[in-house]
Amino acid sequence: MDFSKIIAETTEEIFNCMIFIDIAAQPPLESGKQAMGCHVSAMIGLTGGISAMLGIHCPSTVGLAVAGAMLGMELEEVDADVKDALGEIANMLAGGIKERLSSEDIDLELAIPTAVAGTSYVISAPKGSQRVVVPFIIEQGRFFVEIKYQLN
Amino acid sequence: MEHAQHIIDATQDIFSSMIMLEVTAGEPFVRNNDKLINSISGIIGLAGPTKGMLAIHMANAAALAVTSAFLGMEVEEIDDDVRDAIGELANMLAGNMKSVLDPGGSDIKLSMPSAVYGEDYSVDCLAGAQSVTVPFTFDGLGFLVELQLRTDG
Repeated sequence: MDFSKIIAETTEEIFNCMIFIDIAAQPPLESGKQAMGCHVSAMIGLTGGISAMLGIHCPSTVGLAVAGAMLGMELEEVDADVKDALGEIANMLAGGIKERLSSEDIDLELAIPTAVAGTSYVISAPKGSQRVVVPFIIEQGRFFVEIKYQLN
Repeated sequence: MEHAQHIIDATQDIFSSMIMLEVTAGEPFVRNNDKLINSISGIIGLAGPTKGMLAIHMANAAALAVTSAFLGMEVEEIDDDVRDAIGELANMLAGNMKSVLDPGGSDIKLSMPSAVYGEDYSVDCLAGAQSVTVPFTFDGLGFLVELQLRTDG
């Protein structure tokens, strides 16, 4: 399982087809704690062949741009529309990953997305879990797609 | 609100058996994505035909007291031990509730717990699930346990 490749492909596909923003994947971040400077995140649990949490993390300006493009409207603050849009993106990303892993005979089921927003927060994963974070660039800045997982 | 009693039973069971703390349940309510200040939340996704999430939200002081009792050692700051303990607590609560909500064992699967912590954040569940939150108190401190569920089809 090359999660950085799976994340890059799935994210590019969804942004190209559903959100119509050009994005470019950067090399995955080194593991360890990352101060990503993000103010809105959406995450969703996956379970089955592996136990995982997929998240998308955005600075406010990037979250507004992505949600605005997806909804086709101008957004000015991180409100329920922005959280819903990012939650739906997390859901689509998890769906794409599920599909790719099913071709490797790893079956997964999705939970429902949760949004986290605020001026100061960090999201951590349990000890012993693996973590892959891939940054993407759009005009307004960077966002991050992350998977944390444990083999079952 | 039908799940409030399940939350109360699971939480009191886990706290008395694993953490050796007696906790008192308050009146269940529907949380309005209120801001959490200087807090930590353990969150776990529930997947399968019944989907949702379970979260436990604690102010830092409560999280330190619970982790100290859980690990049997004094913990003074929100470190990896606290984050792991609160995530594990969400995991144990979800596991306990699964045994009641899904006695057959095939309807709900637990995903991986995460801990969210910080000075100022909110946690919203999306996708139109039913939600209920129960407040608990112990030793003058408090915390919330929130369950969101949606059954597809």
